[in-house]
Amino acid sequence: MAQGMLGVFLEIDAACDAIAALKQQNVGKITVFTPTPRHEFEQALRPPRSPVRMYTLIGALSGATFGYWIAIWGSNYWPIVVGGKAISTWIPYTIFAFELMVLVGGLSTVAGLFIHSRVPRLTMTVGYDPRFSGSHFGVWCECPPERLHDAESIMSNAGAEEVRREQ
Amino acid sequence: MATLAKPDFQNEPRRPNIAKAGLQLPAVKDYAQVDREIMGTLRPTKAWFTLLMAAITCLGIGATAWIYQIYAGLGVAGYSPPVMWGVYIITFVFWIGIGHAGTLISAILYLFRAGFRTTIYRCAEAMTVFAVMTAGLFPIIHIGRPWKFFWLIPYPNWRLLWPNFKSPLVWDVFAISTYLTISVTFLFIGLLPDIATLRDAEKNPMKKQFLSILSFGWRNSENEWRHFARAYLFLAAFSTPLVLSVHSVVSFDFSMALVPGWHTTIFAPYFVAGAIFSGMGMVYTIIIPIRKFFKLEHYVTLNVMDAGAKLTLFTSMVVGCAYLVEFFIAWYSGVQVEQDYFWNRVFGQWWYAAWIMLTCNMILPLSLFSQKLRRNPTWLFILSLFINLGMWYERFVIIVPGLSHEFEPWQWAGYRPSFVDMGILVGSFGWFFMWFLLFIKQLPVIAISEVKEIVPPKMRRPASSHGGH
Repeated sequence: MAQGMLGVFLEIDAACDAIAALKQQNVGKITVFTPTPRHEFEQALRPPRSPVRMYTLIGALSGATFGYWIAIWGSNYWPIVVGGKAISTWIPYTIFAFELMVLVGGLSTVAGLFIHSRVPRLTMTVGYDPRFSGSHFGVWCECPPERLHDAESIMSNAGAEEVRREQ
Repeated sequence: MATLAKPDFQNEPRRPNIAKAGLQLPAVKDYAQVDREIMGTLRPTKAWFTLLMAAITCLGIGATAWIYQIYAGLGVAGYSPPVMWGVYIITFVFWIGIGHAGTLISAILYLFRAGFRTTIYRCAEAMTVFAVMTAGLFPIIHIGRPWKFFWLIPYPNWRLLWPNFKSPLVWDVFAISTYLTISVTFLFIGLLPDIATLRDAEKNPMKKQFLSILSFGWRNSENEWRHFARAYLFLAAFSTPLVLSVHSVVSFDFSMALVPGWHTTIFAPYFVAGAIFSGMGMVYTIIIPIRKFFKLEHYVTLNVMDAGAKLTLFTSMVVGCAYLVEFFIAWYSGVQVEQDYFWNRVFGQWWYAAWIMLTCNMILPLSLFSQKLRRNPTWLFILSLFINLGMWYERFVIIVPGLSHEFEPWQWAGYRPSFVDMGILVGSFGWFFMWFLLFIKQLPVIAISEVKEIVPPKMRRPASSHGGH
């Protein structure tokens, strides 16, 4: 079961100081909550690049392929024969390829977002406070019991409005 | 995702700049104020309820007219050969066009880092979704036997039939269903953090539970925001060419046909520019009352209005240029039928429609060269109504005169919409505004999380020592 210390901060620089100190002392795994994306946290945490782009690429290529395929296969299966005209022709079928590229690519992007953000989430799990969608920043440090005191003191010294243990 | 690099918080200057994203909200001081004021718009009022009743009444008129048409047949729709495309197709193109400004504001301006979009894009996105939902009804109404509309969708069936993939009507099915799906997805993804904000502020346990499900358990963690930003960017990147493609495909419904005035290569860019122009008109029709009645003048500032007005002016000039080029093409082609068609459009049978179009779409928007008028919400609202009218007539002028004045004199006829046509037209406005009014009282009309990006966060030390956003 996850346990750790949750710090609630009103000031963004205080939260960043706490993150820096927690990282420096290697207290535990840090999760930051912020009502709006801030580059300050990105700089403090140095997260890896999001892999969502791969979902987009694979989805878009699959969609474009399917778009061409359904139009060509459908035309050949049920041919509408007009003298001098090809049964299947790629120029109008590019419309289907394009639309399905966007459709499948877009939906795959959302799937990538959901998978990597771990949503939909049935429970809010530990280490969350409703104030984090309002005007407060949160730092959740998941750590072993012997480091809880260190995490608490770091967050208090950094200027946390409230520090509480959760599990 | 707001698009600002380094906002400064001085007094709002009278110099909006689309390219530099200089959005400033000096009257918005902190996050709590953003939550309080934007969530404050969700309380139902008597005026809102009255408007909703009016919209439902209009919808009722439209539904009654449609039921009557299904019972009596398409003959009651005012069609008379050879004019077999009328108000339904005009209104279909009109609503598709309205939908374009939403994606322009939310996606294209996002990619261009145009900050003025931040406080108006949610309204525009919702407008897009409801406009496309409205537009999607019209091909179904127009086919006369609406229960057979699914024949246009390619699926394995017992008849072993597949639609004609070379038909623009099938292209429409793909383009519009993709556009609706991506628009809804884009709107919903952008709403997730705001629904989480509503969830966390909600006191009623049942409503809180509902919002928890709707927010998908969004927690505002840095990890979620990181993937969110990337996904939002890609969705914007997909939506941008999609906007261009959808109205191009709609224009192919006409330009693929050998009808005078229709069979021209200018149609795709002409339709796209017209769509964005008409969408901007509808954005103003919606956003100006909202900013006034919800007291959001310090979010949707005069600078935002001014920047949007410049975009409206630009698209008006593109559309105006297209109108003139059409005349030039007809004259330069030397084709008698084309020349007669355009003469008939402007000085003959359809002069009133053509002049309404030219006045509303070309002449009146020139007033936006005046900065004073660009910053006058009352004038912008009045102008937006004229733009809506003018753009509906633009589609009338494209569709009806072409069909009513084809190659041979026996094909020359008139067209008069019936009360059923007009009832369904009124109903479409009722349908659109009903959904929009329901939306604005359930979900925030301004993106809370994006506005917070503009507002400076609380700091213990002075901002300069910590670096900007």
